[in-house]
Amino acid sequence: MFEEASEVFDNMFKSSFPLTFIVFIPAVLILVSPLPAEAAHEFTVYRMQQYDLQGQPYGTRNAILNTEARTVEAEVLSRRCVIMRLVDFSYERYQKALRQSAGAVVIILPKNMSTMPQDIVQQFMELEPEMLATETIVPVYFALEDDELLSIYTQTLTSSSSQGSSSAAEVLIHTATANGFQMVTSGAQSKAVSDWSITSLEGRLAGTGGEDLPTIVLVAHYDSFGVAPWLSYGADSNGSGVSMLLELARLFSRLYTYKRTHAGYNLLFFVSGGGKFNYQGTKRWLEDNLDHTDSSLLQDNVAFVLCLDTLGNGDSLHLHVSKPPKEGTPQYALLKELETVVSSQYPEVKFSMVHKKINLADDTLAWEHERFGIRRLPAFTLSHLNSHREAQRSSIMDVRPHVDLRKLSRNTKLIAEALARVIYNLTEKVKSLVCLCDPLCCVLGQQVQEEQLSSVVDWLTAQPRAAQLVDKDSSVVSTLEYHLGRYLKDVRRHYVKADKRDPEFVFYDQLKQTMNAYRVKPAIFDLLLAVCIAAYLGVIYLAIQHFGVLYSLVRRITAPKTKQH
Amino acid sequence: MTLFHFGNCFALAYFPYFITYKCSGLSEYNAFWRCVQAGATYLFVQLCKMLFLATFFPTWEGGAGVYDFVGEFMKATVDLADLLGLHLVMSRNAGKGEYKIMVAAMGWATAELVMSRCIPLWVGARGIEFDWKYIQMSFDSNISLVHYIAMAAVVWMFTRYDLPKSFRLPVTVLLGLCVYKAFLMECLDCTAKAILTFYCFNTFM
Repeated sequence: MFEEASEVFDNMFKSSFPLTFIVFIPAVLILVSPLPAEAAHEFTVYRMQQYDLQGQPYGTRNAILNTEARTVEAEVLSRRCVIMRLVDFSYERYQKALRQSAGAVVIILPKNMSTMPQDIVQQFMELEPEMLATETIVPVYFALEDDELLSIYTQTLTSSSSQGSSSAAEVLIHTATANGFQMVTSGAQSKAVSDWSITSLEGRLAGTGGEDLPTIVLVAHYDSFGVAPWLSYGADSNGSGVSMLLELARLFSRLYTYKRTHAGYNLLFFVSGGGKFNYQGTKRWLEDNLDHTDSSLLQDNVAFVLCLDTLGNGDSLHLHVSKPPKEGTPQYALLKELETVVSSQYPEVKFSMVHKKINLADDTLAWEHERFGIRRLPAFTLSHLNSHREAQRSSIMDVRPHVDLRKLSRNTKLIAEALARVIYNLTEKVKSLVCLCDPLCCVLGQQVQEEQLSSVVDWLTAQPRAAQLVDKDSSVVSTLEYHLGRYLKDVRRHYVKADKRDPEFVFYDQLKQTMNAYRVKPAIFDLLLAVCIAAYLGVIYLAIQHFGVLYSLVRRITAPKTKQH
Repeated sequence: MTLFHFGNCFALAYFPYFITYKCSGLSEYNAFWRCVQAGATYLFVQLCKMLFLATFFPTWEGGAGVYDFVGEFMKATVDLADLLGLHLVMSRNAGKGEYKIMVAAMGWATAELVMSRCIPLWVGARGIEFDWKYIQMSFDSNISLVHYIAMAAVVWMFTRYDLPKSFRLPVTVLLGLCVYKAFLMECLDCTAKAILTFYCFNTFM
């Protein structure tokens, strides 16, 4: 039996083609499959935003990538992955890559943003909205730099930029032996996330003395925005607003515990979600409270709505209104109190009112108070920014160092005083709040707690808070709920889901991927290697065929030695 | 082109064996089946060695930098089984000396090639990532072919009763080198490192 088996093997190896075909080739075909090989480098990449707002698509549409890496200096960019560093980034280069139908763009950001010079940061901040405004089919990714990635970049740079400079022979040798990189992402194509709910939180402090009390609403949106959702930490916009809101909640809840300082105003605090996406949280909350409920604090007597947006820096304070307040109204009182407090206690602050009419023809609303204005509620927004179009409101460069804690706490004290003067109607009575009745003095006198502000801002900026990433089970929402619950009563959640038929907003997934950079050699290299191996085998064959010659040569060399003995 | 690269490595590893088999005249003697038998003996010997090592040499737990000379020496001694296996194969084959040596060496080396190199090449060389070590591995298999031929020849010479007395000692020394080759390389490496660190230490103190 064994002899027959060996004969079969012998035939297979020698000539019989059909037999080899039947046995060998199918086995190879079955086993040929893409295997996960060890990567030269594996790193996390964050995708650019992808969302639809009111039917209009923004951002990049694609997520998959499996292309060779090049830098911008290379001549051929089509279907290649263009790698750029932040220091070399400019809009022209980005456009150049897109025009030449590049396969993908990867932008390498430094690990520590604060090491970058200010002008580059500023320039990038201004470019972010432009990059997002056009819809790109090409996937755009951001990666944080580390040593390996930097070495990959420098290697790609040297091979890309030397393509057009040397002689033909050098180019041939270079292309044959160069070390290329293949960038591959591991995820699937991006698709729309269905049933994403945006969470908002509300809480209240009830006033004393009767039924129909006026209500003051304080609003801040907690989500952040940037060119890449996973990298948008939103320190100033709007981490500062949320921390200020929590601090005001703490102060007024302490005041309202004492009978003497329990005022006749209801205070409603609202932490809204989806703020950067045209204030979806606020919009739905208003609809639910005004249209679908019988009685709500918002339907009755609303004194005014104060929205806090980006207050963590700067020496100016702007009160943005859509309609200048009339004399005798609570809004006018607040405006006057703010002016008084600023001029008497904080002279370094420049305060002004900015009047901007609501323009319903725009794609998105400017400030959060416009949502209330549309529903005929008197509202304004306080911000240190002059215009809503400022790039800092929606940038990934807005990280913790952008918030100056002293200025944030100064602004908090300022606003707390102005609010207290309106609530307790102190205008005619005293010049400054310090020498009023004891509990008030004692509580407000212990001032705004800077450590509390600092820890809230630190916690908020420790994680990305893009609206696509914060779902109803997120720790951000539950921690905010807990904090509000410590000071306020009736803390409730409010959910917003996009309408099925005509969605106001659509979010997409695959925002964070793992990218592998494989070291590859060009195809010519394999051919070159094959030629070398064939030559080597030829030499071996000749050596073995003429082994006798080699043997006699060795004997002739060793023979004289024995003769001498 | 990564399957192509695998083909390159496979050709580099396997073709010299094929050429040796064809050109050394073994094919005329229908030695294929005997080579396969030699390969089976290789498998059996490796299995015995592994079982022996696993049973009698538990994992040595000690400091990372210290090299366990005695332990490694004992482990290397187990490689004597290789020589015994080669001797067994050669004694079972009737024929001229060269025939026996070539059959034993070819079978042994081919079995080693298939067992220890085919799978790394298949898994590694086919991937997208390129690494020089696969070419190195294939070239290594060529060298080990020559090594096994030499080893079989030395074993054969050792067992001949008509070997001249003056050759006994060199043959024994060569046999010893064959078995303890890896161990001696490690020893040399360790001593070189120790001398170097000692020298640097003295220079900078």
